[in-house]
Amino acid sequence: MAETVKISSRNLNFYYSDFHALQDISFDMHQHQATALIGPSGCGKSTFLRCINRMNDLIAGTRIEGSLTMDGQDLNDPDHDVVVLRRRVGMVFQKPNPFPKTIYENVAYGLRVNGVRDRDFIDARVEESLKLAALWDEVKDRLDQSGLSLSGGQQQRLCIARAMAVEPEVLLMDEPASALDPIATQKIEELIHELKSRFTIVIVTHSMQQAARVSDRTAFFYMGRLIEVGPTDKLFTRPENKQTEDYITGRFG
Amino acid sequence: MYTHLHEEIETLKLKVLKMVSLTEDAVEKSIKAYVNKDLYLAEEVQDGDVEVNRLEVEIDELALRLLALEQPVAGDLRFILGCMRISVDLERIADEAVNIAERSIMLSSRPALPFHENVREMGSKALAMLRHAAQAFSSGNVEAALQVCSLDNEVDVLNHKNMREVIEYMIHDTPAIERSVHTIILIRRLERIGDLATNIAESVVFIARGVNIKHKLYFDER
Repeated sequence: MAETVKISSRNLNFYYSDFHALQDISFDMHQHQATALIGPSGCGKSTFLRCINRMNDLIAGTRIEGSLTMDGQDLNDPDHDVVVLRRRVGMVFQKPNPFPKTIYENVAYGLRVNGVRDRDFIDARVEESLKLAALWDEVKDRLDQSGLSLSGGQQQRLCIARAMAVEPEVLLMDEPASALDPIATQKIEELIHELKSRFTIVIVTHSMQQAARVSDRTAFFYMGRLIEVGPTDKLFTRPENKQTEDYITGRFG
Repeated sequence: MYTHLHEEIETLKLKVLKMVSLTEDAVEKSIKAYVNKDLYLAEEVQDGDVEVNRLEVEIDELALRLLALEQPVAGDLRFILGCMRISVDLERIADEAVNIAERSIMLSSRPALPFHENVREMGSKALAMLRHAAQAFSSGNVEAALQVCSLDNEVDVLNHKNMREVIEYMIHDTPAIERSVHTIILIRRLERIGDLATNIAESVVFIARGVNIKHKLYFDER
């Protein structure tokens, strides 16, 4: 498949008041690929992820400079409707955070807040989303039970189903498996492989093995800078930068 | 930061270097055994092969364990893969030395043919290739490794020259055919040692740079 740039960052700088958290970040994230962002705590990878759906707008005193585009459109254009943006860019967080509602309502929620009323349509979309999240077979007979009654791994897949129900183009994942056991983690990783054919995925992970397993490209951040980005197989077998090599081989610090 | 994996990698390196030392020793002794008709040395080479084989198994087991448990990447991963390849090449070189030693024993009880100097010269070049490749591995020196690859041509040239000389000799002295055939096989073993030393040098380049320089022509044509 030809590589199409979905999200493009050029000389992106981000500040939390005086703190210069991202410095001149320039790289592309391709459509229908998973891009992993790795680096030690505080390196800016999650800040970068949150720039993509403008979650940082919610934090007072932040400032962004440079260009961040999706399909060539400037994401930081003041005229860009953030609600529309967040429909196009779904997000899954570290800790599963289902709403205290039924499994069905968790998935249907995004459609309802977007004004969808057609019951048959919502039914179909809930089923499709739960199937995509590889959760349907486990919950199809108890859709009216609370989302909170599910196991941690199931809750995370429910959150993925919820994010996918509104048919986003991009899925952001912030350490989506760090709170899960190995079996649940494996399911999420398999899911990422499946979802790539429909979405563009950007994933922040502290597990380098996870980045290696699920992503097509990997970007290594350190102290607010992008140190190296490239095909995952190359970055994990022959990285070009000494800092990347030291980090991924555990020689850091 | 020095981790458990890096300690284990040091252990792996020491085992490979130990194997290198035993293999160099075996090649040197096997050549001397032929040149000096020294049965004692030839038997030493035969007996010493067990230790080389044991080290190959140990290196294989350690590398497998590190791959499974430590999930190494980048330079660490390349080093472990490189050691696995190098240990296979070293084990084969040691087998070639045993083969030379066996032929030396066979030939020692028969009237000598006039090829001692040919074997000595070719043997010392093949042994030098092995030593240089081992040093390149020990120090991670890519330039030194590439020089080993270029030395292989010299051994190949000697191989052809020596083969021709032995064949000429056979034609004119038919009672010496059996001894000549053994000598040809022995020369061929030395040529293989040169090839395997080249393989080791290529693995050194792979470890340092992550590029495969084997089958260069094939890649150049792509």
